[in-house]
Amino acid sequence: MRKTNLYILLLALFALAGSAQAQNFKLPPYQKVQLPNGLSLYLMEQREVPLISVSAVLPAGTIYEQNSPGLAGVTADALMFGAGNRSKQQIEEELDFVGASVSTWATKETARLQASFAKKDAALVLGIVRDLLVAPRFDAQEWEKMQSLRLVEYDQAKESPRSVIADYYNAFVWGDHPYSRSSAGTKASLQAITIQDIQNFYKRTYTPGGAALAIVGDFDARQMRKQIQALFKDWKGKGQPAQQLAQAPQPQEARVLLVNKPDASETTFYIGGPGVARNNPDWVAIQVVNTILGGRFTSWLNDELRVNSGLTYGARSNFDSYKQGGTFAISTFTNSESTEAAVDLALKTYQRLHQQGIDAATLESAKNYVKGQFPPRYETASSLASLLTDMYWYGFDESFINGFQQQVSALDVARANAIAKKYFPADKLQFVLVGKADALKDLSKKWGTVSQKEIKDDGF
Amino acid sequence: MRKLVLLGLLCCATLAQAQNTPDDVKTFTLDNGMKVLVLEDHSIPNANMYLFWKVGSRNEYPGITGLSHFFEHMMFNGSKKYGPKEFDRTMEAAGGSNNAYTTENVTVYTNWFPSSSMETIFDLEADRIASLDLNDEMIESERGVVLSERSTSLENSNWSKLHDHLKGAAFLAHPYRWTVIGYESDIKNWTKEDLQRYFETYYAPNNAVVVIVGAVKLEEVKRLARQYFGPIPAAEPPRPVHTVEPAQEGERRVLVHKSVSTPKLMMGWHTPSTSHQDYYALDLLNSILSSGNSSRLYKALVDERQLATSVFSYVPESFDPNLMYLYASASKPDNEAELEAAIHEVLETFIKEGPSERELQKAKNGKLMELYRSLETINGKANTLGTYELFFGDYRKMFDAPKEYEKVTAEDIRRVAAQYLTRHNRTVGIVKDLSTELTDAQD
Repeated sequence: MRKTNLYILLLALFALAGSAQAQNFKLPPYQKVQLPNGLSLYLMEQREVPLISVSAVLPAGTIYEQNSPGLAGVTADALMFGAGNRSKQQIEEELDFVGASVSTWATKETARLQASFAKKDAALVLGIVRDLLVAPRFDAQEWEKMQSLRLVEYDQAKESPRSVIADYYNAFVWGDHPYSRSSAGTKASLQAITIQDIQNFYKRTYTPGGAALAIVGDFDARQMRKQIQALFKDWKGKGQPAQQLAQAPQPQEARVLLVNKPDASETTFYIGGPGVARNNPDWVAIQVVNTILGGRFTSWLNDELRVNSGLTYGARSNFDSYKQGGTFAISTFTNSESTEAAVDLALKTYQRLHQQGIDAATLESAKNYVKGQFPPRYETASSLASLLTDMYWYGFDESFINGFQQQVSALDVARANAIAKKYFPADKLQFVLVGKADALKDLSKKWGTVSQKEIKDDGF
Repeated sequence: MRKLVLLGLLCCATLAQAQNTPDDVKTFTLDNGMKVLVLEDHSIPNANMYLFWKVGSRNEYPGITGLSHFFEHMMFNGSKKYGPKEFDRTMEAAGGSNNAYTTENVTVYTNWFPSSSMETIFDLEADRIASLDLNDEMIESERGVVLSERSTSLENSNWSKLHDHLKGAAFLAHPYRWTVIGYESDIKNWTKEDLQRYFETYYAPNNAVVVIVGAVKLEEVKRLARQYFGPIPAAEPPRPVHTVEPAQEGERRVLVHKSVSTPKLMMGWHTPSTSHQDYYALDLLNSILSSGNSSRLYKALVDERQLATSVFSYVPESFDPNLMYLYASASKPDNEAELEAAIHEVLETFIKEGPSERELQKAKNGKLMELYRSLETINGKANTLGTYELFFGDYRKMFDAPKEYEKVTAEDIRRVAAQYLTRHNRTVGIVKDLSTELTDAQD
């Protein structure tokens, strides 16, 4: 492989983008209705292939879990512990038999369900989706099994710096803020969670009033609407009042968190600070500027750290955006011995954004790139279904998508540089380094005030 | 994708009612032997170009292990018209992006672009295929990149090292013995001459298949292919890999030390190449064993007995006879023996009883849905067409796949399990924390 999958993740950020050559690209028509129980339903017919995708979003992410870290993620998993008149094993067998996929998970803000199946299996799979959301059984024995599994997986995840560094970074940058929490929770909390806790969390957060369901694929919208209304008619409950979160903490000084992994041969690191909320009016322009810095193969960071110096297999930068805030981070990894060179080069490259700024040719190239890579993001029913639930959760509509092309095209050099200054933190940077702390401790003082954690300790 | 490619595919009765037929894929071969497959698909204003080169780690030998993959990287580092960095810069400025991957068998270059940029892509590809310019400085910095790629995989995956050792034990003679990334000492020591020789031997147009899918016109593709790829001269076909792995005649075991929270277990059984008649039965066997939470192994090991946290198996597409792999993560720091015994138990029962009719149907349904999903996008179409063309000898076999799976009986699957999943044909690898044992050994 020539490039890491990180780039693919990054491209996902452009899921709301417009298309360069498709001047006439428009989001296909869809309907949005609110059912009597408050559930928002989005329906988009895409009749070319006999497949259907479902995406559901509920306000049941980690910010709602109060004193039990991990409860949101566990509850999303537990939907599959049997539902309606089927056990966990029966659900899995019936879905596997028709080659359908259904998955559930939690993010910082939301719980999500995604399903994909053949048109001919719609009655079966939609019935199961309904049962998962409306009539989960929360079998205690299944929770016991899942609990031991998750505890082992918790330690396994920490054996891969790449899979946990974002959790450490979020905890470090967000501090006491609700966004600091990982959906993995803590081992102590996972051990303490009972099936009753799961049930209570479900009752409080899995209500139709705050939820949306998007269905995209080969069906008749009128019939589908009737079918969904009938299936979900017994689901009751208002949405929770919108939760106003505290402001994102502003860093007071440059700080370095060392996460000690004594057997590491690499240093994996993030450098960054506060970012922006998903509804920031400059969001599209920020993505274009980030493309230049660290969002594509020829980005400044990848060019310097990989192509020019061979210090790493890949370097990038990224904005993680939520409803009420976000973070920015440069991320890469290098051999333990070249840590200083790589961090310094990342910083030096990043400074170009503030000191030299962006030139016209680079901006033009980035604009073409962002526009040209956009249309494939909408090729499948699943990607369209996710888009519709994102529109619901973040509160935007198709005008944003249909106007994206124009927004990108309109970005000029002066504004791109203003965006760089305004949104890319210039100082008081926050560093997380996962690696051999002994070798990094003294060195790290040059970047900020150093603190240290053991990777084997509970939490992040 | 916005058109039916394969189907009535889903299930049972109407498998033959394909709305889009093999004839929709147009092919032509240039005078220099380069074969081109084109599928017009105007669902989005984009297209792709996949170049499949018949060279992978099976074409290497000790001393240059990993060179195919390193070469893949070097193809982006400058040629006659487009110097170092210009390939990526030009492509991204034209709205395109690219990637590449190397396997034991092939090296594949993938370009994704707005259709309006197609000529630029032809120009870029033709330039590097015709006149790659191996630059000393770029070789050195790329060496660092590949060493980082190798070490980050070891750092972040507990399977990497085990995979390396298991292959080394399962194969004595065939070049499938080493991993695609190669040995560290080879990465550090191969030379510019090795690269140049590789280029001349394998990167001739007659050793490639090009697949283009998307919002393009066949005539335009033909014109550009003739103009850009046509003048590149053919070369003597590379010498075939003739080494045949001697039959394995007894179980082999490898133990690897790593500080892991729970042991990992990997098994490999010698199985025939993808073009062998048993391929479809083996592929269905693989699904029945480990695809989904209702599969034999997941149910027994993870759900019922909780001996593993995950289990996975796969049969790689392969030109030469290769391995069927099974991976399992133990659930406790010391239960790998119990886990291994349980795996053997599941397999023995399966070999005795074979799959139920429902399991068989489930596996077939799953395969079809999998194939179908892979054809939802223009990229999935290009990759799947190219894969069938190379590994099954004809892209048309993709359209036959539903029929081929349908033909497989429960007894076929039981038979291949009995034939290949035997004790004397397997290699078992375990990675675990051996620090205590290692200390004892020194005493």
